[in-house]
Amino acid sequence: MGITTFYFLCFFSAVFILYYIIPKRVQWQFLLLVSLIYFLSFGDARMLLYPLASIAAAYWGAKYIEKEKDPKRKKRGLLFALSCNLGVLIVLKYLNLFVYTYNAIATRVQENAQILTLLRFLIPIGVSFYTLSVLSYIFDVYYGTLPAEKNFFKLLLFGIYFPLMISGPIVRYGEMKKSLFEKHSFNYEQVTRGVQRILWGFFKVLVISERMAVIADTVFRHYEQYPGIYIIVAAVCFSFQLYTNFSGSMDIVLGISQTFGIMLPENFKTPFFSKNIQEFWRRWHITLGAWLKDYLFYPLLRTEFFMNLPKKWKERIGKKPAKKITTFLALFILWFCVGLWHGGAWKYIFGSGLLHWFYIVSGELLEPLFKRIRQTLHITDETKWFSAFRMIRTFCLVTIGFLFFNADSLSAGFKMCGSVLTTWNPQILWDGSLLALGLDWVDWIIAILSLLLLWAASCLQQKKSVREWLAERNIAVRWLILYALLFYVILLGKYGPGYNAAEFIYQGF
Amino acid sequence: MSKEEIYERLNKVFQDVFDDDTITVNENTTADDIEDWDSLEHINLVSAVEQEFAIKFTMAQVVGMKNVGEMVDIIMTSN
Repeated sequence: MGITTFYFLCFFSAVFILYYIIPKRVQWQFLLLVSLIYFLSFGDARMLLYPLASIAAAYWGAKYIEKEKDPKRKKRGLLFALSCNLGVLIVLKYLNLFVYTYNAIATRVQENAQILTLLRFLIPIGVSFYTLSVLSYIFDVYYGTLPAEKNFFKLLLFGIYFPLMISGPIVRYGEMKKSLFEKHSFNYEQVTRGVQRILWGFFKVLVISERMAVIADTVFRHYEQYPGIYIIVAAVCFSFQLYTNFSGSMDIVLGISQTFGIMLPENFKTPFFSKNIQEFWRRWHITLGAWLKDYLFYPLLRTEFFMNLPKKWKERIGKKPAKKITTFLALFILWFCVGLWHGGAWKYIFGSGLLHWFYIVSGELLEPLFKRIRQTLHITDETKWFSAFRMIRTFCLVTIGFLFFNADSLSAGFKMCGSVLTTWNPQILWDGSLLALGLDWVDWIIAILSLLLLWAASCLQQKKSVREWLAERNIAVRWLILYALLFYVILLGKYGPGYNAAEFIYQGF
Repeated sequence: MSKEEIYERLNKVFQDVFDDDTITVNENTTADDIEDWDSLEHINLVSAVEQEFAIKFTMAQVVGMKNVGEMVDIIMTSN
């Protein structure tokens, strides 16, 4: 059951009440039980075998790593636990990428080529998220920064804690274990703050994201009928849809967990205020970026191959360029993996991965030129309009990436970009054509006003925490704001058929 | 090796890695204080420090170092 469904709200309310009624010493066991029930609510019970196998491998692997003194054996334990976890992920999510790619190449080369059939698997909910969390546990034990967990069920709860099952965040065992297993008394402030946050998440998902989705879906699914400016409008709508959907679901997840007294790491920090791509990735899906930096990028650069590369190239091209080339190469692998993590399809590998690598590398290479231009025009980094320009530029760049993310395929994405470049139809912005995309003018106004509200809250967030700001208001104003928001969501939230909001975009990952 | 000596040698390493002769570090210096010290340069810095002091940081240390003071503590215990 998705987290904006009526059933989920009933489920959460029941869990919440029971959580504070039962003896405190069994609170985490209770959370494990409801997490298992939640997992099973998605249908097939066999799906539970995947996380069970992953976590069992991590549990035994980590114990073995800790016990062994011999580095070779330690490494063997690491490889065992890693391959069990990555193996499941590769088979479930990436095997079909090979099938697609093989078929595409085979049909190009030979018209009557034999085509492989796509493999169908039951994919467990949240597999890409919990696998990374579990992998971080294995690495931390291997690096010696974390003792191996002795209780299998504690590790199991860490892996399948139900708020995390939707779409992360990706968590670290060392950071989570204290609050996950300690006893929690009812704390009025924590609970109200959690509920406020859930409400804010619902506002983002139901009021904004669901409306943006209508425009994005209409144009993206029929892009041949909607050329040029339509595609720009839809791509911008999709950027807002993805952000409000993903960060809104994070608000709900973090809010739910906060009501249990369990704090989870933040995943977003107003990313659309970023001035360049690097900054964007420090503010968008933060836990994924941090995971990849610690467990992929650093270890990769510390391999003998990458350590020796600058030395090899130094004499030929000089010290600095040699260092740069090495970094660009490592970044290529990193961004390939970022794309791949998003899904086993080339549109993800390109749009969410290699395109960003291209942005970063070309930005680095062109920096001397940009610097000279800035000096000639007497622009400093503090210039206000220049900061605004940089933010808009970053937004446009990531929107191109998101266009591929949401396109039917990589080639559809390129066709859409081509359509933007070859069709000039600005009249659709004022001749009423935008009202024929599934949203009438009332819905457009609600969407735009809500985006402005979100923008105002995000501006405030740049200076101080919105929740601190809210806590400083007097009680009447505070409740007025919260009730206004509640009614806003109830009245203006766009619910799908049978009160089931559209699925979370990141849920399938 | 005394702490002062370590800082003296570290200053040279930092100046060399970040191409800036004006850099001097102290125990509270963090990545926020040096403009180019991002995750990419961090690894270059770590390698340069390893070479200078003939030591090897573990992966946990590479990821976990919070400031230059912690780096110096590791150098002192490794020597």
